[in-house]
Amino acid sequence: MKQKDSKREDNTVFVGIDLGTSRSSISASNNTREWIESYVGWPKDFIALQVVGKPVLFGAEALKNRLSLDLCRPLEHGVIKEGIERSEEAVKEIIKYLIELAKPEPDQKIHAVVGVPADTLKVNKLAIRKAVSEFVHSLMVVSEPFAVAYGMDLLNNSLVIDIGAGTTDFCIMHGTIPSEEDQKTILAAGDYIDEQLYSYLTERYPNAKFNKNMVRQFKEQHSFVREVPGEVRVEIPVDGKPVMHDITNEIRRACESILPAIVETTTEMIARFDPEFQVKIKNNIVLAGGGSLIKGIREYLQDALKEYGSCRVTCVEDPLFAGSNGALKLAEDMPAKYWETL
Amino acid sequence: MIMLSAFPKKKELRIRQTILRGVYEDNLRIIGKGSAVLSNRPSFSLKKISLFISTVLLALLGYGNYSDLSLSPDKQIAPLSIAAQQLSPLPAETSVHPSEYAAFFGGQAHLKRVFGLAVKTIMIDPGHGGADSGTVGKLGTREKDITLDIAKRLKERLKKQGYSNVLLTREEDITLPLNKRVELANSGRADLFISIHLNYLPSKPINIIETYYFGPSSDAKTLKLAEQENAGSHYGLSDFKEIIEKIGETVKLQESRELAGSIQQHLFVNSLKQNGNVQDFGVKRAPFVVLLGVNVPAVLAEVSCLSNREEEVELNTESHRENIARYLEAGILHYLSKGEVRYEAKRLEEGR
Repeated sequence: MKQKDSKREDNTVFVGIDLGTSRSSISASNNTREWIESYVGWPKDFIALQVVGKPVLFGAEALKNRLSLDLCRPLEHGVIKEGIERSEEAVKEIIKYLIELAKPEPDQKIHAVVGVPADTLKVNKLAIRKAVSEFVHSLMVVSEPFAVAYGMDLLNNSLVIDIGAGTTDFCIMHGTIPSEEDQKTILAAGDYIDEQLYSYLTERYPNAKFNKNMVRQFKEQHSFVREVPGEVRVEIPVDGKPVMHDITNEIRRACESILPAIVETTTEMIARFDPEFQVKIKNNIVLAGGGSLIKGIREYLQDALKEYGSCRVTCVEDPLFAGSNGALKLAEDMPAKYWETL
Repeated sequence: MIMLSAFPKKKELRIRQTILRGVYEDNLRIIGKGSAVLSNRPSFSLKKISLFISTVLLALLGYGNYSDLSLSPDKQIAPLSIAAQQLSPLPAETSVHPSEYAAFFGGQAHLKRVFGLAVKTIMIDPGHGGADSGTVGKLGTREKDITLDIAKRLKERLKKQGYSNVLLTREEDITLPLNKRVELANSGRADLFISIHLNYLPSKPINIIETYYFGPSSDAKTLKLAEQENAGSHYGLSDFKEIIEKIGETVKLQESRELAGSIQQHLFVNSLKQNGNVQDFGVKRAPFVVLLGVNVPAVLAEVSCLSNREEEVELNTESHRENIARYLEAGILHYLSKGEVRYEAKRLEEGR
């Protein structure tokens, strides 16, 4: 931020990484911005290896070839999945790949700040550190909503609601690094919408054949709450024939299913905070994460919270990179001496 | 606060610095270097900002010394006490005296089920769960999560060894009272019962491994531990004492001791290879409820020590948890294979 250019002289590249359940992104001080879907796939056997031609695949490519792969989404439910042997390995692969995408010069030092879902940080921060530290020279791990808040200069009296895939993270900023009481994580998030939508669609169209991945795509294209923007129709095969289906109500019901929990947690967190500053926080609520792209969600939350007095909710401009940009800013602002010991 | 708000620019800058330092310290704590800073955590609130800055400065100045202090006792104590602890408890408890064989063969109850060939169902009991977190490490690692993870890994490993019927008392993070676990073991017709726990020694920076089987104990420390682990059982203390006295030297007790010995040996010997500082506290008897109610050989293994910072760091890695599961597996398999040999021995004796 302040001294970007002067810092770059000493041959260090700063990167901010947003390690998400669904998508992971990287922002680097050499101005690269890249993202991938957080999927890692290894070929199931040597035939699969022949077919895909690589020992490990990522993101959309992994998803496309999933029938030949052992597919892993390492941060499902917002934490490094337990009991699955390869989740740690998968996190490593994602980090390695993201850093390659940022194209650092071979002799450059990499100083990274990694934002992870708030709950991951609590339980598995060490595991994450271990997974990442191999690929960077110096590393700091922070919680995702905090990185977003820092990136947007929301340092004091603000609330960031990061609606991700696995979890929705809440983080109140009051001029210091947020403690555990300032952060809360609930499971009402993108994956939950997918599950709801899947069951609503199964109920309404028992003959239609669709899978979780298709349902997720429907959601990403058409999600909305409150007023209907127009009929939502999608193509789903029935007995092998593509047929158009109206899914307007199902989409709305599924998207709205996460809202009560979000409203409740928001009011609860604000109510817990020092009463003198509650009004300020209410006027400084920011939505981030993929969930902030749901049409009408900002208005819905603002109206729902009006009951508790005046309130202003805004959305981040670029939810995909808000986390990694914030992490990058943290990395660049961090005094050089702090990096030495980490 | 009032003074600060007079200089909005300065305030903004200061907040930023505070935050950056906070991130730095938080990460220091994650890697276990921030013990000196950690003790100053309560002063993080805005109201005490000036106090905070001065303490942090002090802490940073003193940091080098503190970190040395907190690490050194570990290293100094360890080699001495290993030498003292290494040999004594384990062989004493695992060696079987001839007189005990008599007791063993005298009991008729479970002969078929305790022998290696007949062990069909193994029940693993991940300690604590749900509302009961067990002990919690300094970095926030909870016993209930670790025990569940190790139990799941152990189950998978045993399945690969051909023990298709391996049960867990809990598959997820749920509250499960001890008497419920006992019921599960008995109704599931388990042939072996292994309860997994983590130790917590608040006053000592050491890492120990110990394994228990059911029996009366005279050791005050063990009784205290039993009290902790028994909390949440719905048994009265009086029922308890009576049963302890009744139980005597039965097949179950004998076999439990064998199993405990085998598990302890494998756990310790292998853990020692990974970490030279680990200490062997051997096989012990203790009146744990979970061990009492179960009708078959039952042990409680304290596989690691959550109060030890380095160990807590390790426990957060998959590989370490997998290793512990592997050692437990080795201990169980060793015990089971002994069973087969002894079956042969018994036939010979009968034939005489």
